[in-house]
Amino acid sequence: MFQDPGSQLVMERVEDEVAFGLENRAWPLERMRARVPEALREIGLRGSERRRSTSLSGGEQQRLALAGVLAPAPPILVLDEPTANLDPDEAGHFLERLHELRSAGMTIVLIEHRAELAWPLADELLVLRSDGRQLDAGPVGAVVERQGEALLGAGVWLPSAIESRLTGQQPPATTGTPGLVPLPASSPLLSARSLSFAYDGRPAVADVDLEVAGGERICLVGRNGSGKSTLGRLLVGLLRPAAGKVRLAGREPFRLAPVALARLCGYGFQDPEQQFFRGTVAEEVRAGLEPGEAERVEPLMAALGLPLERFGERSPYRLSGGEQRRVSLAAILLRRPSLLVLDEPTFGQDRRSYEALLALLRDQVETGTAIVAATHDPRLAADLAERIVVLRGGALAADEPTERFLRDGAARLAAGWSSADVRRLPASDRP
Amino acid sequence: MIGPIELDERSRSTPLGRASPLAKLAVAVVWLGGLALTVDPRPPALLAALALASGLLLGRIPVGTLVGRLAPLGLAALVVGISNALVSPANADPAQFEVGRLGSLRLTLPAAQAGLSLGLRVVAIASLGTVFALTTDATRLTDALVQVARLPERFAYGALAAYQAVPGLSRDLTTLQQARRIRGLRQSWHPEVLLALLVLAVRHADRQAVAMDARAFGLGPRTRYRVERWRRQDTVLILISVLVLAAALATSRL
Amino acid sequence: MNTTSHVTGTFADRRPPDRQWRTRDILVVAVIAVAFGVFFWAFGVAWRALEGLGPLLNVLYGFWLLPAIVAPLIVRKPGAALFAELVAASLSAILGASWGIDVLVSGLLQGGAAELVFAAFAYRRYTVPVLVLAALASAAAAFVHDWLVWYPAYSSDALLLIALFMGISALVLIPAAALALVGALRRAGVLEGFPA
Ligand SMILES: Nc1ncnc2c1ncn2[C@@H]1O[C@H](COP(=O)(O)OP(=O)(O)OP(=O)(O)O)[C@@H](O)[C@H]1O
Ligand SMILES: Nc1ncnc2c1ncn2[C@@H]1O[C@H](COP(=O)(O)OP(=O)(O)OP(=O)(O)O)[C@@H](O)[C@H]1O
Ligand SMILES: [Mg+2]
Ligand SMILES: [Mg+2]
Repeated sequence: MFQDPGSQLVMERVEDEVAFGLENRAWPLERMRARVPEALREIGLRGSERRRSTSLSGGEQQRLALAGVLAPAPPILVLDEPTANLDPDEAGHFLERLHELRSAGMTIVLIEHRAELAWPLADELLVLRSDGRQLDAGPVGAVVERQGEALLGAGVWLPSAIESRLTGQQPPATTGTPGLVPLPASSPLLSARSLSFAYDGRPAVADVDLEVAGGERICLVGRNGSGKSTLGRLLVGLLRPAAGKVRLAGREPFRLAPVALARLCGYGFQDPEQQFFRGTVAEEVRAGLEPGEAERVEPLMAALGLPLERFGERSPYRLSGGEQRRVSLAAILLRRPSLLVLDEPTFGQDRRSYEALLALLRDQVETGTAIVAATHDPRLAADLAERIVVLRGGALAADEPTERFLRDGAARLAAGWSSADVRRLPASDRP
Repeated sequence: MIGPIELDERSRSTPLGRASPLAKLAVAVVWLGGLALTVDPRPPALLAALALASGLLLGRIPVGTLVGRLAPLGLAALVVGISNALVSPANADPAQFEVGRLGSLRLTLPAAQAGLSLGLRVVAIASLGTVFALTTDATRLTDALVQVARLPERFAYGALAAYQAVPGLSRDLTTLQQARRIRGLRQSWHPEVLLALLVLAVRHADRQAVAMDARAFGLGPRTRYRVERWRRQDTVLILISVLVLAAALATSRL
Repeated sequence: MNTTSHVTGTFADRRPPDRQWRTRDILVVAVIAVAFGVFFWAFGVAWRALEGLGPLLNVLYGFWLLPAIVAPLIVRKPGAALFAELVAASLSAILGASWGIDVLVSGLLQGGAAELVFAAFAYRRYTVPVLVLAALASAAAAFVHDWLVWYPAYSSDALLLIALFMGISALVLIPAAALALVGALRRAGVLEGFPA
């Protein structure tokens, strides 16, 4: 199973999707008729038999894909970052399901960066080095004993409890607070007034008010489908508001010409492949640059662990998921716009890239850039943001300082975060 | 957003919704062939009216839906009709009766008739296509092609899987164009956009193929979860439609 | 050693091409055809004015003929041209495009004509002349179909003009665009495992 649920579905309707693997294995009709509803019940999609799979939410699609894979009761299951685009709540449910499967005796191979979620599930650990060779394999405890230092050095994410035990200290606070005093709020850089948007009559963002000051760091959180990406695109003028107004540095971004818009703001898309145009990494990050910006390319790429001499001539489509994300971000960070809107900027990064990225974002903030990042990653929210904006069903559910948000049960619930998500944060980030 | 038409359960239980998709396809193709045989305005007018009436009565398509789908075709019918009328060779024949004149352009009676009937042909073909699309389910059509018409199974279901990419690809296209804009690149219909879309299409195909192989697609003989049969009513439907076509063609005098 | 590699080379050339379709081949052809359909559809919506042209939009025919050349150029197997055109055509039928049914017929003709050309070269040659021939065959089939269905009343002058237009497009534009697209896809590295 892959991280993108949409691309592994093959049939039009939910029940046919589940039956597909059974048909291929020549199950008799009677057995299929018994198994399909059962498989759907197991993943909580009973009653959606006749729905179109393309009309399901991302989380439901991912569960449907799992049901399709599980229906014929395979002996082994391989999953590549399956909770990638799921909100913490959905991801939790998904992993719970894996727990059940494991208790039922199924062999599961899970490829995952999110240590906090995945480790409790694992019996054995296989760690790969950056050159693709095996670092170590074996029971979780034994590997941690043997390779503690190496794991830390290789930039592997570890559950914070293990990490603090290994380093014998609190993990370094990655929080961006030191040295980052919010600029004195003058007139806001961006202000949105009763902003609304609908796709084909279905509302996605409803009546949102938001102000962003220069140099501010905001995280946009909310469940799958709550409208984060849509709001982000509205803020930078990629979508035209159905109602309400956005003013960015005194202008309406939607009306700006591409060149002017690119000078003012940047947007990092949720799926990095959707923003690639050119055949090589070097051409890709240089596309659309203005004179004077070109000399920033080399140092930035080196800082992101993508030095041009090694990556410049490669095709952006032939990079790992984490590398692609950094290339797509590099293309935006180079412009140093006054507003950066980033959709899941740290997803799929190992610890080392995560920290490099965070450092870069901080540099940008120091020059006065405001950052709005949509994310499902509690860690990024705690590390980067001074303010958290919660969306629920397209409407604003909360807008408060990070500290308060982490203590605010109602707001966290609206965002799909459990208190366990907060407990798993490194101690230094916890309220 | 584009995507296949949603058929609700109600429209699937109507006489047209129940008919074999293959039978409807056969009727549509036969009528299409018949329409190409005549340049008289009567048969296309009759067949268009019949197609729409059966869509409304036998397929219970809501009037609003049908009108909404057909509305843009008015213009298309006009363009085809007028262009055929204007560039007809009959206009150059001085012996033909002149119905109108625009500068040096002359419009003769046979040319106007040809224009009218070809405009109606557009309406008839569009009505057929619309009624077919609004009463036919893609999965059922594929099932029928495989189980009744015996088309190669891997290709048919491969194609059906590819259609599931439609909403995704149309979002990809929008996002690609937005990505150009935010990066200061002009021209949202630049060839680079088509290329990038094709790249995403190949990636999507690769992932889908792996997912299908992992689920034993094409490994051996398959069984069927949905059973499609050819029923006697389907044969009757085709026979009637051939008779209707013959009757419609008989009204033509040209 | 030199001779050995030479012998291996000719052997490889004479070996019948692998005609079995993998799932990946099927999906790549089908999804590419769908992507062309989506692009064209969105383009049509963006340029509302074109819609009024209706079937005469076929003046932009080159675009519809592209899948019949691009797909076989990537997946060099029997049936690629026909399959690609049929998928692209039935997409419009399923999406409810109004000439869906007629597009199906013209897709069959266009794909079939290109297919015949590739078959005539035993699915082994994909050189520029072969691509041009396939595009011409496909355009000819499209022209005959459209003439009979959409403009039977046209004067021969007008028909000649249309034929000329489509001929030029098939002779130059379509093969050039197909080669450029497939070359760029190859360079992007997404066509690994397909014949170069
Ligand atoms: N291009 C589109 N066309 C139609 N509907 C869309 C489109 N993009 C998003 N939607 C719908 O709009 C709603 C909001 O989507 P959006 O992508 O903004 O949510 P999100 O909060 O970013 O979700 P996620 O956490 O899964 O990324 C969802 O119901 C979604 O299905
Ligand atoms: N299609 C490809 N062609 C060539 N090289 C590739 C291709 N895909 C990935 N690579 C390279 O192979 C290496 C391993 O890639 P892979 O995708 O397996 O990494 P990964 O461990 O899954 O990384 P991530 O955690 O970022 O997803 C990377 O250095 C990447 O640049
Ligand atoms: Mg999103
Ligand atoms: Mg990976």
